[in-house]
Amino acid sequence: MADSPPGITAAPHEDNLRYFDVTIAGPGQSPYEGGIFKLELFLPEEYPMNPPKVRFLTKIYHPNIDKLGRICLDILKDKWSPALQIRTVLLSIQALLGAPNPDDPLANDVAQAWKEDEKAAIAEARQWTLKWAQ
Amino acid sequence: MAKIPRSFRLLEELEKGEKGLGDGSCSYGLKDSDDIAMCEWNGTIIGPPHSAFENRIFSLSIYCGDNYPDVPPIVKFDSRITLPCVNQQGLVDLSRVASIAQWRRDFSLENVLVELRREMAAPANRKTPQPVEGSEFPPLDIVALGKQRRA
Repeated sequence: MADSPPGITAAPHEDNLRYFDVTIAGPGQSPYEGGIFKLELFLPEEYPMNPPKVRFLTKIYHPNIDKLGRICLDILKDKWSPALQIRTVLLSIQALLGAPNPDDPLANDVAQAWKEDEKAAIAEARQWTLKWAQ
Repeated sequence: MAKIPRSFRLLEELEKGEKGLGDGSCSYGLKDSDDIAMCEWNGTIIGPPHSAFENRIFSLSIYCGDNYPDVPPIVKFDSRITLPCVNQQGLVDLSRVASIAQWRRDFSLENVLVELRREMAAPANRKTPQPVEGSEFPPLDIVALGKQRRA
């Protein structure tokens, strides 16, 4: 994308212009800070009436992202609007990294850990960032 | 026409498989629920009624390589079975499975399992005596096999 927001890149595959390699930098003041996370994004046939499909390829410890990298984010599901841009979607995902929501979990074990001992969960998330997102 | 990439295609298949397919006679899922590459899958087929396969559950191992679904998966029966499209190691020769012999990108794991079940029910096969229930083919590294085929 020509006008990618800071900390975000998106490049289409040469053989499939609807399929993007994405990177998102972990936001400051979060356990993902210093990490570069790889994602993939696909614009399905029904886009923009239906949302893009996005998932993390880098392992990440986050209550709203599951083991396969699937993301629980309302604008990727029922709150999608054709007016939203890819850029907005990626910014929202970056914001989700800065504001985990263990009350609307996708990864139940992570959400549980987050609620029981937030400090320990944040430390774990930081460890994963150091291990996988460099 | 948008060409859906391998990973999102497999995620769709996974979600469909998790919800349960049709009449429940076939099922599949990821072998390891945290396999981010979604390469290795397990499948089951319940033998069709009024056949030598009736009342049996057949387990299968499935490998979806980097080029799936442009190329078919590697499919192996873990449960012993006697069928023309299955060799002595349990490997399925998909080119001998009638309606998917000519592989197409829009075929899915569900199609493979449903068509294998149809093979079991086919007039030529349904009365073929079957190995002792519970016996298994020897283990086979289908991941290595998949990588070999690619090379």
